[in-house]
Amino acid sequence: MAAAMGREREGIDLDDPWQAIEACYEQGWTDGLPVVPPTEVLVERMLASGPWDPDQVLLHEPARDRGVTAYKAAVNAVMAGCRPEYFPVIGAALAAIGDPNFELHGPATSTGGAALMVIVNGPVCRRLGIHGKANLFGPGFRANATIGRALRLVLLNCLECQPGVLDKSTQGWPGKYSLCFAEEEEASPWEPLSVARGFRPGQSTVTVFAAESGHNVLAHGTGSPERLLTLFAETMAGLGSLSPGRSVIVFAPEHAGHLARERWSRARTQAWLYERAWRSLADLKRSGKIEPAFLTNPRLLEWLYRDHPAGVPVPPPDPGAAGHVTAEDETVRVHRGLGPDDILLCVGGGEAGGHSAFFPSWSRGRSVPFVTKEVPS
Amino acid sequence: MTRILDPTLRAVRPIATAPLAPRPSTLAGARIGLLANGKSNGMLLLERVAEILGERHAIVEVIRVAKTNASVPVTEEEAGPLLKQCAAVVTAIGD
Repeated sequence: MAAAMGREREGIDLDDPWQAIEACYEQGWTDGLPVVPPTEVLVERMLASGPWDPDQVLLHEPARDRGVTAYKAAVNAVMAGCRPEYFPVIGAALAAIGDPNFELHGPATSTGGAALMVIVNGPVCRRLGIHGKANLFGPGFRANATIGRALRLVLLNCLECQPGVLDKSTQGWPGKYSLCFAEEEEASPWEPLSVARGFRPGQSTVTVFAAESGHNVLAHGTGSPERLLTLFAETMAGLGSLSPGRSVIVFAPEHAGHLARERWSRARTQAWLYERAWRSLADLKRSGKIEPAFLTNPRLLEWLYRDHPAGVPVPPPDPGAAGHVTAEDETVRVHRGLGPDDILLCVGGGEAGGHSAFFPSWSRGRSVPFVTKEVPS
Repeated sequence: MTRILDPTLRAVRPIATAPLAPRPSTLAGARIGLLANGKSNGMLLLERVAEILGERHAIVEVIRVAKTNASVPVTEEEAGPLLKQCAAVVTAIGD
């Protein structure tokens, strides 16, 4: 092994490809799975497939002031097993998680252990084989498995999010390996997610979200939208994940079909879910969800009393009595999120089966927004 | 021979671009800053640190700054009083 020359093109010289795979482990460059050794030829092909100069910064992380160039992104995309034509999607996803509003440092490092969800819309899905049908979150699809993996390798290798060091995830979850899928637009009762997010029909986009692990919402026994959505609202209002944070729901085509048949709009579905995904302040207090520090934080107080006719009490509640349940607390409804727009709806999955998914956002606080970016052509 | 390219930023950019400040030789007569990083119990932890420092050193004043968001860098406005007035700053995150 010998160190290579050149500042940007530094690397390691090896005798054979198998040795190269092992060398990547030795260097701490992997997510635990073997990587494709990033040779110059493969990296050049990856770079040539995107519109960016090698030195162009695709992702800037402000908290630690790290700039990830297209060149470094390409090295990691090769390692993840991406085909070169995936590179524009990866660049768009890096721009999305690097959007200052996304506040990447939090979900990249927090004990919450968020995955970077990437939902892809538009013609790029069919062209690249980004999958949105059966087992869309599971194994079997190169684009899904490797595009999300490229983001994770960038976090590990460029932002130094090493587990237990800078990435302090208490548990993490398997979505942190890769969580990338297409919206199954043809099965949706509504316009594509990308259009709902302000893009034109026919534009390809990525929408990113810092996601905790998903919950299966199982419903085989009803075609009634109200009965069906009650199950989703109940799941969203689970005390374990109730927070002011956002939600992603991926409706299975079967469930989406029930909403389509009864002509439920996206906005009506969002509003219905928001209205019913709540727990009483008394429930939150009884379960220890209300820490004393919550009662001195104006943003959290605003969330707790958002739906209460009298608003935040004056004077504010005594932090020392955070666990004390009053009769009034039984009447205070604390919703998941701050409004219907905090619930992102999309469609994905196989034709058969009443299994949808609810993904809560990272963090017990407000957490990061949804960010959508166009995939360059 | 196969060359594999470095996927990290280690060779591209030094970890720290700013030099470390000299270590104060004494805390006697010093102002100490506390910078809580934005989680709910950071200042609770730091108050205990300040208490212990106060028992051991003749500190004249403690200046407290609490970020409201742990995910974003400290602002110049937040860092200003610490930079201008403090001999040393202790920072912490506390969930």
